[in-house]
Amino acid sequence: MAQKTGGQLDETALIRAAQGGDRAAFEQLVRAYDQSVLRLAMNLLRSPEDAQDVYQEAFLRVYRNLDKFRFDCSFHTWLYRIVTNLCLDHMRKRKVRKEEPTVVATAEGPLDRMDAVVEERVDGDPQRFLFSGELRKRVKQVLSELTPRERMVFELRHYQGLRLRRIGEILGTTEEAAKNCLFRATQKMRAALGDFI
Amino acid sequence: MSETSCSAVKDFFALYLYGELSFDEEERVESHLDSCVDCRKALERQREVQMALDNIAIEPAPSMLRSCREDLHYRLVEEEASGHTVAKHGWWERFTDTLTGRAGSGWLKPAGALTLVALGFGIARLPIATGGGGLFQAGVMEPSASRVRYVEPASDGRVQIVLDETRQRIVSGGLEDQKIRVLLLSAAKDPTDPGLRAEAVELVNPSAQSSDVRDALIWELLHDQNSGVRLKVMQGLTPLAQQPDVRAALTRVLLTDTNPGMRTQAIDLLTKSLAQENPAQTYDRQVIGAMQELMQRESNAYVRQRCKTALESVKASTETY
Repeated sequence: MAQKTGGQLDETALIRAAQGGDRAAFEQLVRAYDQSVLRLAMNLLRSPEDAQDVYQEAFLRVYRNLDKFRFDCSFHTWLYRIVTNLCLDHMRKRKVRKEEPTVVATAEGPLDRMDAVVEERVDGDPQRFLFSGELRKRVKQVLSELTPRERMVFELRHYQGLRLRRIGEILGTTEEAAKNCLFRATQKMRAALGDFI
Repeated sequence: MSETSCSAVKDFFALYLYGELSFDEEERVESHLDSCVDCRKALERQREVQMALDNIAIEPAPSMLRSCREDLHYRLVEEEASGHTVAKHGWWERFTDTLTGRAGSGWLKPAGALTLVALGFGIARLPIATGGGGLFQAGVMEPSASRVRYVEPASDGRVQIVLDETRQRIVSGGLEDQKIRVLLLSAAKDPTDPGLRAEAVELVNPSAQSSDVRDALIWELLHDQNSGVRLKVMQGLTPLAQQPDVRAALTRVLLTDTNPGMRTQAIDLLTKSLAQENPAQTYDRQVIGAMQELMQRESNAYVRQRCKTALESVKASTETY
């Protein structure tokens, strides 16, 4: 979840300054949230190029429309509405693919995010190692089978640590609908990972 | 407890661990767990699986974030230069605010609406563009180049096409003009045309003392894919080689640039800047360290020889310890 650089008052002052045309204030505002925005886009889209596109497009949209922000909701919610819509658009365009690649090119070189599922705690125990290897395969499969909305809610809840109420606000739906979506995602994961649970 | 109720409880484990169950649902899960050893074990497995999922999150590299911020900075500068700012100053924005009621002057709405009708009537009477005539000739629209960005089927059988449009316009002015400089710096970053980038860099090089130009040149030095453009950038930064951020960028070139010519130039510039800045021979340890590192990893014999000469000229060891 994005950490604010200062208190709510500081953020309000920054937004008002940016609304008045202060670009430095806007860039300061960006820095309070951009790391979590990039992380969300990267994890959902698994492509540095697409993630960077979403980053640029999201903050440019915020910049162009900041005068329309009326403090009806938090800035974080407003920003995430824009980011999640852009990510969902990307994911829907890709949904014709049978399976999403899990190997992504990061600045540190190619990384298979699934490799990291192998827990460090296996401690050389062959049974535990097999458990982790199998778990990795199943997680890879099930994440690719979630719908874009399920995937989005799962990412926002699990990796961004947002509460369902906030997720509902961001996605323009109710907390209950977000809960149902997360429930379906976790049910699919449970079905796929049944042997482990 | 029956198998069915165990299964029903297990369905809620994930939401239970996320703390997203209602009070009643949580109560049902916990009272079941009190009396069911199997489910308590299953909950622990679920917890382990969720913890394992934590490990697959990707944290974007700091360099990627930095690059995004730099790109955004330049895009914002371009937006500003092209007249897009957050604050509303234009008559059109004020006018549309009036129509949507934001301006709070209710009596202006009918007047605004009338003006819109008049505008619509006037524009409708202009000839529609066909061939070389119409709106273009009337001067209402400028010729524009379009590129299809997305095509998508819409639900009603129609299609939706998103076009990127560019209009040609000639702008002239001196380098001291901020708008001209912003446009040149933007051209220096055009990813599609290395020739344009090289020409733009050549034009801004004499203004490298200005912080905006210097920052842009440093960015180009480290990110441009074309070594010809990077070499031109290095020429522009030559008079500034003693500045810490330029020197840091040159040190990075030394260790990361794939082009041997760039590495050789970087060695020469750094050596010259060390000699000029340190008459007392208290040389920049970072630069010396980078050169010593280069000695270990450099595969090009000529570059290695230049590096060796440079280290010897500042009486530094050619080895790392």
